[in-house]
Amino acid sequence: MGSTPTQYDTLQRQVSNLNPVDRLLLDSPYTISNELYSVLRHVLHDVGGQPDTPVPFTEKGEEPWEMNTYVTCECLGWRGVWNSEERRRRENDLGMTQYFGLPYYARWITVATKSLIDQGLITTDELGKKIDEVRDRLTKRKK
Amino acid sequence: MGRYKIGDRVTVRDATTLFHTRTQGYARGSTGTVVDTRPEWIVPEDEAFGILENGRHEPFYVVRFNQKELWPDYTGFDVDTLESEFSESWLMPAGKERK
Repeated sequence: MGSTPTQYDTLQRQVSNLNPVDRLLLDSPYTISNELYSVLRHVLHDVGGQPDTPVPFTEKGEEPWEMNTYVTCECLGWRGVWNSEERRRRENDLGMTQYFGLPYYARWITVATKSLIDQGLITTDELGKKIDEVRDRLTKRKK
Repeated sequence: MGRYKIGDRVTVRDATTLFHTRTQGYARGSTGTVVDTRPEWIVPEDEAFGILENGRHEPFYVVRFNQKELWPDYTGFDVDTLESEFSESWLMPAGKERK
């Protein structure tokens, strides 16, 4: 998603739902306490014991894109491109908003992409072009 | 073979970690019993950054904790337990904790 003024408003509205209204303003403050620093660099996947509200249990089947993501990531591991621990670390590195904002397998495919880019196996513009190509194809099909 | 054997009482270190770890916050400082051992493998702190050939290898242990000791407000049964795995350097013999 880009950041034209209208899109910025849309993003603002979406993000405003992710955080409580009353909070410490974190807008690159000049200084923070050591305590806050340790909270901010908490490893995101370590959620055990954190307070939460009850979550409704839903029986959700896996969708084709989710299984495709899983198999792609496993094949990358099998071919020695990365490993599941690197995947978990990269998921943590997404930062809190994306980590908890993305669906589970969207996290996987996002960090798989970043790993491939970091290793010079694909480039961002190459991938962008491919995404545009697929989007065009799907849009045409719908018309 | 590793430093600990099945039945040993061990305490999980509460060490500073940067960027990635598998050692859960709730387990740190807690004491449990080694109930199984795992073969040596690269520690997560190296494996997570793709350091494989030169990664540090350590034995891993399955440690069993009493739920009541992990969670102060635990409302389940006394016999409830939780098991997790730790690489050797995350553990120390129980009773040797820094006071």
